[in-house]
Amino acid sequence: MNKWIRISLIFTLLLYSLAGMSQKQRFPKPEFGTGYHQPTPVTPEPRALALEYTDVFVLLIVLSLASWIAIRRRSRKEMLWLSVFTLIYFGFYRDGCICAIGSIQNVALTIFEPGYAISITTLLFFLLPLGFTLYFGRTFCAGACPLGAIQDLLIVKPLSIPEWLRKTLGLLPYLYLTLAVLFAATGTDFIICRYDPFVGIFRMDAAFHMVVLGIAFLLMGMFVARPYCRFLCPYGVILNWMSRFSKWHLAITPAACIQCRLCSDSCPFDAIDFPTGEKEAKKRVWGVNRFLVYLLLIPAWILIGGFAGSKAHTWISKANSKVYLAELLITKPEVRNDEKNLDVQAFLSSGKSMEILVNEAKEIRRKFYLGSWIAGGFMGLVIGMTLLNQVIFRRKEDYQPNKGNCYSCARCISYCPVRN
Amino acid sequence: MENDIKLKLSFNIALVSGIFCVTVALLLLLNFMQMSKSKPLESKALTSLVNRLAQEPNSNELKQEIRDFDLLARKAYFNARWQVKTGGYLLLFGAIILALSLRVFTDLRSRIEEPVIKDDNEFFSRMMAQRWVLITGSALILLGLGASLASVDHLKRYSVDESMANLKTNDNQDKIEIIQVGPNPANVDTVKINVAKTGTNLQLSAPSKATTVRAIKVAFPGLNEIKANVPSFRGPLGNGVFFQKGTPVSWDAASGKNVIWKTPVSKKGYNSPVIWGDKLFLSGGDNKTREVSCYDRNNGKVLWKQPVDKIQGSPTAAPKVSEDTGFSASSLVTDGNKVYAIFATGDIICFDMEGNRIWARNLGVPDNHYGHASSLIMWKDKIFVQYDTNKSRKLMALKASSGQQVWETVRKGKISWASPILADINGKFQVVLSTDPMVAGYDTESGKELWSVDCMSGEVGPSPAFGSGLVFAANEYAKLVAIDPAKNAKVWESDEYMPEVASPVTANGLLFIATSYGVLACYDAKSGEKYWVKEDATGFYSSPVIVDNKLYTFNTAGKMKVFEVAKKEKILGEGNAAEKVTTTPVFKEGRMYLRTPNFIYCIGKK
Repeated sequence: MNKWIRISLIFTLLLYSLAGMSQKQRFPKPEFGTGYHQPTPVTPEPRALALEYTDVFVLLIVLSLASWIAIRRRSRKEMLWLSVFTLIYFGFYRDGCICAIGSIQNVALTIFEPGYAISITTLLFFLLPLGFTLYFGRTFCAGACPLGAIQDLLIVKPLSIPEWLRKTLGLLPYLYLTLAVLFAATGTDFIICRYDPFVGIFRMDAAFHMVVLGIAFLLMGMFVARPYCRFLCPYGVILNWMSRFSKWHLAITPAACIQCRLCSDSCPFDAIDFPTGEKEAKKRVWGVNRFLVYLLLIPAWILIGGFAGSKAHTWISKANSKVYLAELLITKPEVRNDEKNLDVQAFLSSGKSMEILVNEAKEIRRKFYLGSWIAGGFMGLVIGMTLLNQVIFRRKEDYQPNKGNCYSCARCISYCPVRN
Repeated sequence: MENDIKLKLSFNIALVSGIFCVTVALLLLLNFMQMSKSKPLESKALTSLVNRLAQEPNSNELKQEIRDFDLLARKAYFNARWQVKTGGYLLLFGAIILALSLRVFTDLRSRIEEPVIKDDNEFFSRMMAQRWVLITGSALILLGLGASLASVDHLKRYSVDESMANLKTNDNQDKIEIIQVGPNPANVDTVKINVAKTGTNLQLSAPSKATTVRAIKVAFPGLNEIKANVPSFRGPLGNGVFFQKGTPVSWDAASGKNVIWKTPVSKKGYNSPVIWGDKLFLSGGDNKTREVSCYDRNNGKVLWKQPVDKIQGSPTAAPKVSEDTGFSASSLVTDGNKVYAIFATGDIICFDMEGNRIWARNLGVPDNHYGHASSLIMWKDKIFVQYDTNKSRKLMALKASSGQQVWETVRKGKISWASPILADINGKFQVVLSTDPMVAGYDTESGKELWSVDCMSGEVGPSPAFGSGLVFAANEYAKLVAIDPAKNAKVWESDEYMPEVASPVTANGLLFIATSYGVLACYDAKSGEKYWVKEDATGFYSSPVIVDNKLYTFNTAGKMKVFEVAKKEKILGEGNAAEKVTTTPVFKEGRMYLRTPNFIYCIGKK
């Protein structure tokens, strides 16, 4: 019964946020003079620095607790309630922002744009989860990420995804990360934030298609556990790398594995590695030959990827508002007379010349050219390495979590009969 | 609670919430589709009301009706949006209930099962993974290569020329420093341009500078210089009166009588020559190319000829124009430092007197069923463009130095093919336009409408004329009207003889009208009393002009007749171009210059 009271509390909070929604609707500016004066826009005060540090402090506490629960307490129930807290605090209370996933873009922008300085809190939001992952595995995903929490809570009947499909879809987070960094580094957009499927739900205010997207992810997540985390999250790529080297990672069993196989079906994320079969072990010769071929092909993948990326730079750069505006004014100069086109009218009233705009757009496109070479090369490397990994057989004796993919949610622990 | 009851309860909740979700989702979809199609502010009823408001701008009842309708439409729209948004959250709420009840249901149904013995073929699985990674990787590369084929780098098309100078607003450009201060002290003046002036119909191109009032030292040709030259269509100030002496009254193209020179024109055009000093300018063009030419008016030698091309925004496919308007019907304008030309494509271009291109821009391709025909005129440092299209009617002032828009006044009424003139009214020059339904005067500095009289109708082609303190305007199937701009009222009107194309001209208290059906009529300018009428078998498209107290007329057959500017008809001489004439002759230092479809003629006493 206690459980139902807590659930009711969450829904009460949801409904409370709904009530505020209607007040946010604004009436557009009247079309002609009525004596009404449009109020001067006022930039909202930034969040107080103390509160920003409070967020960092809360993140630190949550990360510590998640790591402690995963490694020492080994309790799924405690992890579940921690993720509920995360969902309420970082999700609904903090409106899904600031978040570690989006901070990738701030870091990218501060590296490539000298005029942009990242705030210390944003930097900490980027670094703290990585630091914890390096020591304790992806406990951030388990208990400190609101995006993960909302999906995790709605898992109903997870289906196992075949490995070949997981590996193929596993390319998407790399692609998303690459594009996010490229767009942020060129000052184009923060696409992770713009297309965050859950932020609209957290804020109870979003474009209709984003709400639909968020709900679609949640509905899909009932059967394909954490679809965003597994097949889209760009931060997950970096966490995956870090987690592979984690010093203390969650283990299914506290002692030696008795190979009872009880945990084999416990992970909804297919993140448990099984012991290597005898048949596979015998095929290592085949693996070595192909390993050499794939290894030698990696430079070719990088070059081809870079070339293809560079060729696509014109198309990709059209996403930049300045490039888009410049090309629009060049190809359709009549839009200058379109009073409804606010971008064009804002530019015309800015006093900036077309020549300056075009030169700025050309400079951005030049950055895209360089960035697309690097991005394409990186994707080529990812494809090459993914292929290479498919022919590397690592002998595994026990049922153990895959350190890169495991979210340290502690579900598998309760399946293990070994207690000491 | 019994496990079975819990199981049943959770199943029922899941079922109800599932049905709820499907219902809400369907309703949402319907509502969203309906809302996407609905554009409340573009409804026919509202558009109709707004159009009516344009006809009756002072109708408060109509304004209130529009406001009420507008508010209603907005309310309906935002109500639909609210429904969609609220429905979205209801759906979310239902989905959460569904997910939780399903979860409880599956948890309750779960039993301790035999451990699954995984017998996956890892080898096969890895083979599949390699295959699909290869396919996906190749698809990504092909996508990248395909994107390069599907996209065009339009930025490379942009060539850095002065065509975009219209958008420059840097201070250096605003401080115009020109050149060649003439001998007339009146040539130098300090003009205060108050860019902040706004009126009901006035739009400023650069609101960011809306409060700037700056003194600009400019130099421009004085009135004496203007009168000594032919800066625009129908001579100085566009009024059809030339301040020249000793002009010839007879000539013959066939025999060469009094033909000092004739030069073929390379491009078709219905514009009339403009002259400054020894240089005569013309433009011509077709649907493929346009050009501006400069001739030595002493010998007809081509001094330079420049293409009108590579202008940002110029349409790749020329707009449709009628045969008798063409692409180059508008006459040029010059201030002695530069020459400016406009074409039916919406291109406007500036060259210096040596043919160096100074700036060019496109004003937007005009939606004009005959083709743009209004000529340019200028005063001080501004070029005035009567830029009428079927979509909008406006008078624009462009900076002569850069083409940058100084102001733009949106006018009521319909499209017109007449040209603006300059009129000294109450000691200050105004731009005067004739269009359906009004003849109006505009402040040259701000574009503000100073006076307006509703008296015209139809497709107005003849330009207005100014003399004896009155503005004269006429159009076929409308009226001939004399307006006192100081009183903002009609002085007299007549509906007997009205021109279709040729503009009226006035001097010495007389007004002359030449109609397209061959009537030349003389009126008393102040009273409207008709003095004489001369009928011709062939009509007039060429505007009659007055030089040295002589009225020059050309009918469309190319026959010239010169009359004395007098209350009684008196023919002083005749001429013959031996080909069609629709342009207007110009005069400079005892010579007449005439453009025909194929030649430019210089006529003078040999």
